[in-house]
Amino acid sequence: MTVAADVDRPVAMPRGRRRTELVMLAFAVGVVLLAYAAVGLGLRGKLPGLPADLVVFAALMVAAHLGIRRFAPHADPLLLPLAALLNGLGIVMIYRLQESGRNGNPGLQVTDMSSSATTTQLLYTGVGVAVLIAVLVVIREVRVLQRYTYTLGAVGLVLLAIPAMLPTSHSVVNGAKVWIIFGGFSVEPGEFARLALAVFFAGYLVSKRDVLALAGRRVLGIVLPRARDLGPVLIAWAASLLILVFETDIGTSALFFGMFVVMLYIATQRTSWLLIGVTLFLAGSWLTALMVPHVMERFTVWLHPFAGSNPTGIAYQPVQALEGLAFGGLFGTGLGQGQPYHTPLVQSDFIFSAFGEELGLVGVMALLLVFGLLVQRGLRAALAVPDPFSKLLVGGLSFVLALQIFIIVGGVSGLIPLTGITTPFLSQGGSSLVASWILVALLIRVSDAARGPAPQPIQDEGMTQVVRAG
Amino acid sequence: MNRALLRISLACLVMFVLLLINMNYVQAFETTKLAGEPGNVRVFDEQFTFPRGAILATGDGTDVKIAESLPVKGTDTYQRYYPDGPVYAPVTGYDTMYSTTGIEHAEDSYLSGTSPRLAVHNLAALLTGKQKQGATVELTISPAAQQAAYSALASDGGHAAAVVAINPSTGAILAMASYPSYDPNELTTTNGTKLNQVDQQLLTDPSQPLLNRATQMILPPGSTFKIVTSSAAFSTGTVANVDTTIPAPTILTLPNGHTLHNDDYEVCGDSNPPIIEAFYLSCDTAFGDLGMKLTAPVLRDYASKFGMNSSLSSFPLPVATSVLPEGTGWTDPSYTAYSAIGQYNDAVSPLQEAMFAAAIANNGTLMEPYLVQQVVGSGLAVIQAAKASVLSYAVSPAVASDVQSMMYEVTHNPGGTAYLTAGPQATGGITIDGKTGTAQNGVNNTGLNDAVFTCFVPGTNGSPSPIAVGVMVQGGGYGADAAAPIAVQVIKAYLGAHS
Repeated sequence: MTVAADVDRPVAMPRGRRRTELVMLAFAVGVVLLAYAAVGLGLRGKLPGLPADLVVFAALMVAAHLGIRRFAPHADPLLLPLAALLNGLGIVMIYRLQESGRNGNPGLQVTDMSSSATTTQLLYTGVGVAVLIAVLVVIREVRVLQRYTYTLGAVGLVLLAIPAMLPTSHSVVNGAKVWIIFGGFSVEPGEFARLALAVFFAGYLVSKRDVLALAGRRVLGIVLPRARDLGPVLIAWAASLLILVFETDIGTSALFFGMFVVMLYIATQRTSWLLIGVTLFLAGSWLTALMVPHVMERFTVWLHPFAGSNPTGIAYQPVQALEGLAFGGLFGTGLGQGQPYHTPLVQSDFIFSAFGEELGLVGVMALLLVFGLLVQRGLRAALAVPDPFSKLLVGGLSFVLALQIFIIVGGVSGLIPLTGITTPFLSQGGSSLVASWILVALLIRVSDAARGPAPQPIQDEGMTQVVRAG
Repeated sequence: MNRALLRISLACLVMFVLLLINMNYVQAFETTKLAGEPGNVRVFDEQFTFPRGAILATGDGTDVKIAESLPVKGTDTYQRYYPDGPVYAPVTGYDTMYSTTGIEHAEDSYLSGTSPRLAVHNLAALLTGKQKQGATVELTISPAAQQAAYSALASDGGHAAAVVAINPSTGAILAMASYPSYDPNELTTTNGTKLNQVDQQLLTDPSQPLLNRATQMILPPGSTFKIVTSSAAFSTGTVANVDTTIPAPTILTLPNGHTLHNDDYEVCGDSNPPIIEAFYLSCDTAFGDLGMKLTAPVLRDYASKFGMNSSLSSFPLPVATSVLPEGTGWTDPSYTAYSAIGQYNDAVSPLQEAMFAAAIANNGTLMEPYLVQQVVGSGLAVIQAAKASVLSYAVSPAVASDVQSMMYEVTHNPGGTAYLTAGPQATGGITIDGKTGTAQNGVNNTGLNDAVFTCFVPGTNGSPSPIAVGVMVQGGGYGADAAAPIAVQVIKAYLGAHS
C-alpha cells in the first residue's frame, strides 16, 4: 500500500439543520424533565414541582443552541441534543442519589455526596456550555490548533504531572492521586491533559505521517519507523504512562495508550501499529499485574468476584454494582425505586450501574445507543472533513470517547477488569463534564467545517494576469 | 486516512456490541444467579418492601390465613405474621430476615414473587404501576382438623408427638401437627440481635421445638406394621382370608434361640386363632411367625408398596424416610419375626402411619401425599394447581377389603385393642377402623413405649373414605390409650366441619 493512493475525497453532507437541532434538543430536554418527574414519583410517590435547576438546564441548552446557530451554523444537528440528553440524565441521576435518605426520602444516604451535588453539577454544566461557546468563538478552524502542537503537548504533560508532584493532601481523592485540590475546589487535570495531548499527537503525526508510513526498516515482516521520527511521540507517551502509573490511575493510562495507538494507525494506515499496540498493552498489563499487587487485585476481582470473602472485601464495590444491575433486570426498578446507594462511589465511576438498576436493560441499551450515536457522529465528521489534522484529531477523540465508555461500562458490568474512570457526561464531577463539552465543541467545529460550504479560493480575481516586465 | 477511520469505526461498533451483549447477559440471563448470591443486600432489603404472599389453609372450604404480611405502622415495610403460630408452625415454617423453612421455604419463589412463572404477572404489575406482590399459596390443610390435632397433642401430658391426617382418595394432607411447637412470630423480628437470641434458644432447646415431628420423627411402628404383614400374607396367598387360622403360641422360640412373647405373656385365643382375631388382639407371636413364613424381602417389598423406603422427594417439607432397612443379616428369620411386628430396625414417621391407613381406606391404592392445593397470583389467576396422583398400588381391592374388616374389629370387637378408646362409644357413633401399636424401645426395651395409632373413617354408600389419621406419641405408653384418643378428636373435628 502507498500513501499516494489514499486520496481523501470529501463526503457530501447536508447543510445546516439548526431547526432540526432545536426540535431534537427540545425532545432531549423533555426526556430529562420526565426523568426528573419519575424520580419524584419514585421517591415520594408524587409529582415534584418544576425545579429551578431544570429551568436553568433548559436555558443553558438553548444558549448552547444559539451559540451553535451563530458560530457553527452548519454543524451536525445531532451532537448537541445527544450531549444535552446525557448531561441532563446525569443531573437527574445525581439528584436522585443526592436525595436518597435525605429530606424524608427512602433509602440510605450516598457517602461522599453533598446535599448540593445537583446544583454543583448544574454549575459545571453552565461552565461546560460557556466553554463550548468560547471554543466555537475562539477556534474558528480546528487546524489552527496545529500551530500549538508542541505547546499543547507540553501543557498536557505538565497538567498530568502536577498531581504527582503535589502533596497527598492536595492531590488524592479515594486513593487516586490525580487531583489538584485547593480550598474547596478540585480539578482533575488528566481530563484536560487528554485533550491537549490529542492535539499534540495529531499535530505531530500529521506532519510526520509520510515519514512514519514510508521510511523504516523491515523487521520480521513489520516495517518499524526510524527512532528519530518516533522519538518525540514515544517520549511523550512513555512520560504520560509513567506519570499515570505513578499516580495509580490505570484506567486513564489505558485511555492514553489507546488514543496514541489509534491515532498512529489512522495517520499511517499501518495495521502493524495496531498489532504492536495491542501486544504492548497486553504484555504491559500482565507485567504490571505481576509487579503491582493493586493491579493483580483488579484481575482477581474481575475473575472471581464472588469467591470467598471477596464480596464483602476487595470485590465489594463491583459485586454491589453487578447485584444492582441484576436487581434492575429487564425493565429496572424505576427511577428512585432501586437501591443504588449500596454501591460505593455510585455517583461517579459507578453511575452507570445506578442507571442499570433503575432503568433496567432497556434503559441501559438506550444509553449505550446514545453514546454510540455520539461516537458515530464524531467519526462521521472526521471522515467528512478534508483537513488531515482535523480528521486525525477528531477521529482520535471519537475513538477515545468510545474506549472510555467501553472501559468504564465494561468494568462496571464485569466484562473487563475494573479501572476507575468517569462516565462521560453522566458522572458527578466538573472536570470530566467540562472536558466532555470541550470534546463536543471540537466535534461541532469540525462537523461545521465538514458540512459547510467549500472554502472560497483566496484569489478570486479572474484569470491570472501575466505581467511582462518591460 | 478514511480507510483507517472506517476500520476504527468498526472497532468502536465492536466495543459497543460487546457492551450490549454483556449487559444483556448480566441483566437478562444472570439475574437469578446474582439475586441468589449470599449477602445480596438489595434482595435482603427488598423482602420487607412488598407484601409476601399469604399462606392459606383451605381444607374446610373457606380461606383461613395462617401466614400473611402486614404493613408495619409508620414505615414502608412489611412484617410476616402467623395468626395461629404454634398450631401451623410445622406446616408454614418461618420466614426470618435470613432464612426460611417449611412451606415458606418450599414455595419461596412464589411467595416472594421471584418465580419465572410469575414473570407475566410481575410485568403486568410493572406496566400498570401496581405494587409488587407475592403469590398466595393455598394449602390442603383443614383448620378444624389442625386445631383439634394441636390441642389434642398439647393436652396429652407434654409428650413429643405428632399427628398427620390425609384424605385417602386424593392424598391431600388435612392436618399436620407436631408437639412441642414454637411460635414463628418470634422469628419475624427485624432486630438481628433479638433474632439470633430467639434462634439460639430454639436450637438449643432440648425438646427440639423446631423439629417437624410429623414428617421428621421416625420411630418403630410397632403393631401397626401388622397391616403391612397381613397385606403381604393375603396378597401372596400365604393366608387365604380373614378366617384362616394361624399359629399363635404364647411363646415363640426363634431360630437364634431368643423367644418372642405376647404382651404380658397373654394367651392369644386358642393359640391357633383366625388371623382376624390375632389382628384385633394384636398377637405378636402370630405375626412374628407369619413374618418368618413371608421372608424379609417380601415384607420389605410390601413395606415399599405402602410408601416406605422412599424419600417422597416431591413433598414440599423435609421428610425422614420411613424404612425397613436392608443391613447385614437382615434376612435372618429371627430378625424378620421382629420386623413383621414393627420392631427391630423398622422406623416410620407419623406421615407414614397415616399412609398405611390411607392405602387400606382407598381400597389398596396409595395416593401421593401433597400439601399445596394451588398457587394463586395477584390477579386471582391460578399459577399452579395440584393434581392427585397415585404413588403406588399397595394391595388389591380384595386384600384391602380383608384388612379393612380386620381394622374394623380392632375398634368394634369388645376384645379389640382400641375398642374402649376408638370404638363407637368413644367416637359418638362415628365408625373408625384402626390399628394400635405400642413400640418398645431403648436398650433392652427399657425405654418408655411409644404409642402409635393409625386409622381411617370408612366410606359409606360408595363414597370414598374422607380421612385417615396417623398418630405417634413418643414415650406415650399404649397406642390405644395415648394415641387413639388423639386421632378420634381429629376425626370428630374434621367430620364436624364437613357434615
